[in-house]
Amino acid sequence: MPAEFFKWLVNSPWSHFMNSYEWVFPAVQSLHFIGFAMSIGTIAIVDLRLLGLGMRRQAAADLAADLAPWTRVGIAVMLITGPLMFSTDAVAYHLNPAFQFKMVCLLLALLFHFTLHRRAVHPGVRPIAAKLAAALSLLLWTSVVAGGRMIAFI
Amino acid sequence: MTVPSMLEWIESTGLSTAIREGGLPYPIIGGVHLLTLALFGGMLLATDLRLLGWVMRRRPFSDVWYQLRPWKRLGFAIVVATGLLLAWAEPVRLYSSPAFWVKMSLFALVGVHALVFRKKVYGHPEKLDAAIGSQAKLAAALSLILWAGLIVSGRLIAFDASFDGTPLHQVNGKYVPSSK
Repeated sequence: MPAEFFKWLVNSPWSHFMNSYEWVFPAVQSLHFIGFAMSIGTIAIVDLRLLGLGMRRQAAADLAADLAPWTRVGIAVMLITGPLMFSTDAVAYHLNPAFQFKMVCLLLALLFHFTLHRRAVHPGVRPIAAKLAAALSLLLWTSVVAGGRMIAFI
Repeated sequence: MTVPSMLEWIESTGLSTAIREGGLPYPIIGGVHLLTLALFGGMLLATDLRLLGWVMRRRPFSDVWYQLRPWKRLGFAIVVATGLLLAWAEPVRLYSSPAFWVKMSLFALVGVHALVFRKKVYGHPEKLDAAIGSQAKLAAALSLILWAGLIVSGRLIAFDASFDGTPLHQVNGKYVPSSK
């Protein structure tokens, strides 16, 4: 049962850890922000390159390969800190429309990032396809952040 | 004009009230602030990591620097503009928030950092193409620490004691205190 699972999550040791001191939640949330600045920021650099708006002197494939480890570390930080915050109030969060929107966008963004977006940087790809991939990537990640911001206001 | 009366005047302006009580403007401006943080943060990270020699080592530093600069400037302008709007919405609360003052101090240090390293590091990026000295690496490390501190202190503003009693926004709404 999902409802049972969310209740169990709220009472889990890591949920208690998140509420153990007042500063833990904001500290974890700050890490979450640093994580997305790292991942989405480096993805945005590649996307701007694909759109021809920046870093035009290097090949998109080189740029993507250079930044990939930092993108991945950022994603890992996000995916660890996010569920930790979720666990503190899982029952309420999973019913929050902004949260649901964010999760759908996140799933699509991650799927897209590790499949088509990876191929879009290859030299053989048609420019229009690469640009579409970059625009879609920016749109998806923007939606993830915007959805996340709205969680506290809905 | 005393500081408190000035803050109260700011809070009574139409713009301040519209952002604070308008519903959507506050989260939207906050959202843009965050998104720009990702954009600007990524550019900054790439520049600083290049100085540290951890990314794009095949590219000369000046090349990376000049290509990222317009985007960094744009990001900086947006992040400051949206930050000002958010501060304009609730100056009275921010004035009593310790995290806000930590953030402003760090922001001032960012300015000091730029001035200190302008001459030897950022002013002549071409000179760093041959070899990146320890001073440039120090500048990069300090820059990363300052900006991480800005993010952390910025986030803490929503959680500190100035919020108690007068929760103007539900930024803090999902936090369940341990006493509960």
